[in-house]
Amino acid sequence: MALLRLVSLVVLVLALGAHALTPSHHLTPSDLVRLQDVLSQPYTDLKAAYLSIVGQSKLGLSVAGSNEACDFIKSNLDPSSVESLFYAAEASQTIASCEIPVSNETRDLLHATVSEDSTMSQIHQAVSALSFLGLPLASQEVVSALKARISKEDNVLAITLALQTASHLSQQAELGEILEEIEDLAARLDDLGGVYLQFEEGLEVTALFVSAAYALSDHVGVEPPLKEDQVIQLLNSVFSKKSWDSLSEAFSVAGAAAALADNRFHKPVIVSAVGPATVSRSQPLLQLQVMDVLCQSLSSANVLVETATSAATKATILSQTPFTQRDGIFELNFMASQPASGYYQFSVAISGDSRLVGNHIELKVKVSTKVSINNMDLSVVDKDQSIGTKTTRVEYPNKAKSSFIADSHQNFAMSFQLVDESTGVELTPHQTFVRLHNQKTGQEVVFVAEPDSKNLYKFELDTAERKAEFDSISGTYALYLMVGDATLENPVLWNMADIVLKFPDEEAPSTIQSKNLYVPKPEIQHLFREPERRPPTVLSNTFTAMVLSPFLLLLLLWFKLGANVSNFSLSPSSILFHVGHAAMLGLMYVYWTQLNMFQTLKYLAIIGSLTFLAGNRMLAQKAVKRLERK
Amino acid sequence: QLSYSVFSVISRFLEEYATSTLNKMKVVDAYLLYILVTGALQFLYCLLVGTFPFNSVLSGFISCVGSFILAVCLRIQINPKNKGDFLSISPQRACADFLFAYTILHLVVINFVG
Repeated sequence: MALLRLVSLVVLVLALGAHALTPSHHLTPSDLVRLQDVLSQPYTDLKAAYLSIVGQSKLGLSVAGSNEACDFIKSNLDPSSVESLFYAAEASQTIASCEIPVSNETRDLLHATVSEDSTMSQIHQAVSALSFLGLPLASQEVVSALKARISKEDNVLAITLALQTASHLSQQAELGEILEEIEDLAARLDDLGGVYLQFEEGLEVTALFVSAAYALSDHVGVEPPLKEDQVIQLLNSVFSKKSWDSLSEAFSVAGAAAALADNRFHKPVIVSAVGPATVSRSQPLLQLQVMDVLCQSLSSANVLVETATSAATKATILSQTPFTQRDGIFELNFMASQPASGYYQFSVAISGDSRLVGNHIELKVKVSTKVSINNMDLSVVDKDQSIGTKTTRVEYPNKAKSSFIADSHQNFAMSFQLVDESTGVELTPHQTFVRLHNQKTGQEVVFVAEPDSKNLYKFELDTAERKAEFDSISGTYALYLMVGDATLENPVLWNMADIVLKFPDEEAPSTIQSKNLYVPKPEIQHLFREPERRPPTVLSNTFTAMVLSPFLLLLLLWFKLGANVSNFSLSPSSILFHVGHAAMLGLMYVYWTQLNMFQTLKYLAIIGSLTFLAGNRMLAQKAVKRLERK
Repeated sequence: QLSYSVFSVISRFLEEYATSTLNKMKVVDAYLLYILVTGALQFLYCLLVGTFPFNSVLSGFISCVGSFILAVCLRIQINPKNKGDFLSISPQRACADFLFAYTILHLVVINFVG
């Protein structure tokens, strides 16, 4: 027994130390107002009336014009429809003193609907109607009908409706098996990125599941098998959508919010800072709002800072410090611990109710301060240090009375310290810039001032070295110091002095070409690829004639040799052969000018085969003739 | 002496050619000469003017070369003096082969000339 206690204590300590999930989405007061507006829209039919009236009651609002609502329900009720009876029954129950007349036929209809042959939705509506109308139910019969329907309609919505139905039944009935369905359904939820947990059927079904699961769990008195992280993830899913497509979606969200705000087992807590989480001397209090899901303040809670560590030095500033409550807001005077400016990581725990879920939060708190500039010394130093330096001290926010002159033989130097106004601690803000602005040309050059190891800021301007940045334009420059940081309440822009800079070999001062990026650029002329130089046409024509001339030579020679034209038999096949051959040559020419390879091959195949056959015949005939002659 | 012997060889050759060659052969020879001259002219053009439309120049020249080769093959095959070497191929068959190869050559050349 003692061992068990020890083990549970160890487990508890580990669980508390573990980093739990906190809600990333929740309904803000303005979201709640929007939800109320959606639900309080005027309704035209009984279903809309039901969603509106019951939805608003879940949010804790009383329905406006309850008498008109009651009359509307009574006049739109259709006693022969189970669905209509369901809407009327639940809606009238939420309105005070609104009674629906029930006849024997109605009761019999509702009882008859409770059977294995009706759909789950019908059973749910019938049982709910019977329950809200105060009529007796046979719970065991309902249970067996539900079990039969669950095995037939194995979808999420049906099982959710079964859970909701079971929450109306007598506690003596065997609801154990139906209770187990919660766990099975929870296993079907999709985990999206470790942040959301929802059914693939959508937001409405998820919200209905939340309402039904808690309704049944509260009714039976058994904690739902949902881990803390799962509850938070369900919360994130249901409240991630801040504008609702339909009245039924808004209704389901209202139902889920009501279930999560007030059930016997899990109470998610929403912690948010009032305004930005920033403290300073003028505002030393860190204020937190601790609410439930319906934005109602948890006044009985104890809010404790477990640790507050500096982000920069990792030193622990606070440990186990409680917040004090005032008008529903929890406050802590952080400045009393004299923190240095910067960011702090707060680990806050909320206790006071064993049902609290998501009650360990991490908060990033910023401590801001005011900066003051000390010991600003401006001087002109000669490069070879033959002449002594002349240092002028300037006090913020004054400007030095005389301007400084620096030419190429001299350097301009500046040193100063940045301290926290209240504590005197040295600061190193993110932005410490020295800006020189030429009023005449509008030119602006900015340098960075860097601190040395003792946090003393130094800046030196070597006129000769830096002339490129100034475009060698001599003249009077106004000298500014710019200091800024996220943790500073008073960023500084201080015109300290005027400097006259003289640059050697100055070009004619050109007016500043403002870097205008948005003027049209010079047009690019596209250079098309020039065709290659061709030989002159005359030459080509000459050569063409020359190349074709040997053909005449050929004809001449053939004629001279007395080519055997006489033996030209005029048989059809030989004619066809010669015609076909000529056609093929003609096709070549046409191919060159017009056709592509595929078309040519097509024609060639036709002509070629004809020519071949004709040629075959012709040659065969020739052979026969020759043999005859022999 | 050399020029004399070359000249005599040539004249002897021409004499022999005129007498002992068949008319059929001479017809083919005339064709061969024509192709040769055409090819030579094309080559001359290429040397003088350059290879601007390179594919055209090349296809023209190769057509000459290809035709020459095919005609030479034809001549060898139909020469009755070579009948012993080509027993299975009749002159008609040789002619048909020549025409077929000729067609394919021209198809390729026309494709390439662009």
